[in-house]
Amino acid sequence: MGVIIALTLKEAIRRRAFLGTLIILVALYGLSFLPRAFKEAFGGSERQFELGVNLAVLFGVDIIKFFSAVLAILLCAGAITAEIERGYLAAILPRPLHRWELYLGKWLGVMLFSAVNATLWTAMLWASVAIQGEPRVEMWRALPYVLLYPALYGTLALALSSFLGASIASMFTVAAGAFAYFSDHFLRPIAAFFDVKLLQQIVWLSEWTLPMATLKRLVQAQVDAILPPGMDDAPPWGSEAVLRFLKPELQSLDVIYVGIYIAAALLVGLVIFWRRDVQ
Amino acid sequence: MWAIETRNLRKVFRPLLGGKPIVAVDNLNLHVPPGTVFGFLGPNGAGKTTTIQILIGNVYPTAGEAFVLGHRAGAIAAKRRLGFLPEKFQFHDFLTAEEFLRMHGRLAKMDGATLQKRIDETLELVGLAERRKSKIREFSKGMQQRIGLAQAIIHDPDLVILDEPTSALDPLGRRRVREVVQYLKERGKTVFLNSHLLSEVERSCDEVAIINKGRVIKQGALDELLVNRSVVSIELKRVEPRVLEAIGKVAQKVHPVDERRITAEVAHEDDVPELARAIVESGGALMGLQAHRETLEDLFIQAVEGEGK
Repeated sequence: MGVIIALTLKEAIRRRAFLGTLIILVALYGLSFLPRAFKEAFGGSERQFELGVNLAVLFGVDIIKFFSAVLAILLCAGAITAEIERGYLAAILPRPLHRWELYLGKWLGVMLFSAVNATLWTAMLWASVAIQGEPRVEMWRALPYVLLYPALYGTLALALSSFLGASIASMFTVAAGAFAYFSDHFLRPIAAFFDVKLLQQIVWLSEWTLPMATLKRLVQAQVDAILPPGMDDAPPWGSEAVLRFLKPELQSLDVIYVGIYIAAALLVGLVIFWRRDVQ
Repeated sequence: MWAIETRNLRKVFRPLLGGKPIVAVDNLNLHVPPGTVFGFLGPNGAGKTTTIQILIGNVYPTAGEAFVLGHRAGAIAAKRRLGFLPEKFQFHDFLTAEEFLRMHGRLAKMDGATLQKRIDETLELVGLAERRKSKIREFSKGMQQRIGLAQAIIHDPDLVILDEPTSALDPLGRRRVREVVQYLKERGKTVFLNSHLLSEVERSCDEVAIINKGRVIKQGALDELLVNRSVVSIELKRVEPRVLEAIGKVAQKVHPVDERRITAEVAHEDDVPELARAIVESGGALMGLQAHRETLEDLFIQAVEGEGK
């Protein structure tokens, strides 16, 4: 399996995925210095500067979440069917290795690449705010949960790639993500404000379909301490039930559900790849 | 024990969105003796590639059984002793020839010292020793075919399946492949060769199987299949029944081609003068006669066309 992991990493390098790593590193570095640039250009108190750093860190964590997931989708969506169609697996599959070894090798390769990326990006963000005298250890606490983003999306894309081509597998993964995002950011407030049961059920369903909102809450719980005042407060309206729907409390089983979801997606993809004809 | 054995092997592809099922392999019974160079022939769509894909474990049979070196096709124990050169492939062209072979050697679970020795030997054998540090993307199509052949034999397998190994090669490249096949044969390996280049198969193979519509229609040792039989192309002023009757008395088979031409098969080339005499004595106006020893191509066309009738 080690050969497949190494091959997947080499393939990622061949596809210039490291350029994405470098671009995001530069972007995070630039982002972290924006509050200082604003302070120097327009003045402002030390409190406002700290607030600016906090916002930069929160936005930086969002960037890390987003781009590590995007890279994982790009690398996983073309890992199975597309490689079969291109003929890359024609000489590898007859080798004495089980299909699950090939599948897991590819998954581990992408996960390793994503983990290195997200860690490097977090290190860059942390170091660049730390040298300005504003270390924010919260982003390191969030990192294990941030790593679940590429794991979630990469696993889903890989499972779809076991029977779909690269573009369709990416499209479905992105569509699932978009549905979860739309449902959490737009449908949820509407469903809560107008108390529409059907919309509330759709939001609930989307969370089961792709636990992105759960994952968002897990990350948020780690960076809560640096949230600017009022940013995460409950709105001044609605019953307790509505408010609970609008801002669900983090359950101890949430992270287990995300883990089970990833494991189940991995298993489904594995079974499809194991049972399908390859030619 | 056969190197390859299939028993009533059947594969039906069912389109996902409905439509008529496609029977690619239909009760195929194949027996490949160990240590032979075996030609696997058939027209396009006969089921050759599907059969090979079943043998290497990429495709699951719908019914029947397939065994490779005594193990069920696709089993790890069978794959360990199997080498395969696919017809359509795309190698990881960012690797050098040496890195590529090392990767395949590791996938074949070879240990470091043996692998390095085999890399040197194999690159020498396929004529790429001097290009070992070149990236595969810099290789010509023929060189890629040869590095493909090298990966198929890197782990010194007992059975090598070559799917159209000479399709992209010039005459020199084809000779190189023949030499490799000969080298494998001398070492007691079994080579299972799928090729449309019948002259190549005829030069390299000990046995052949011809399949059509998923079934074996002819199988045997080439020496036995191509006994001294000669194929005679006869041109007459006009084909007449009495001439056909006279030819039929000498020839084993008679195939009228058109109003002027006939193809006949005689058991031995010594029968050709007798055939000419019979035509003339029956009153036929003989305009031309050309005899040649039956080739694999003749056998192939006859077998496939005979099946179609």
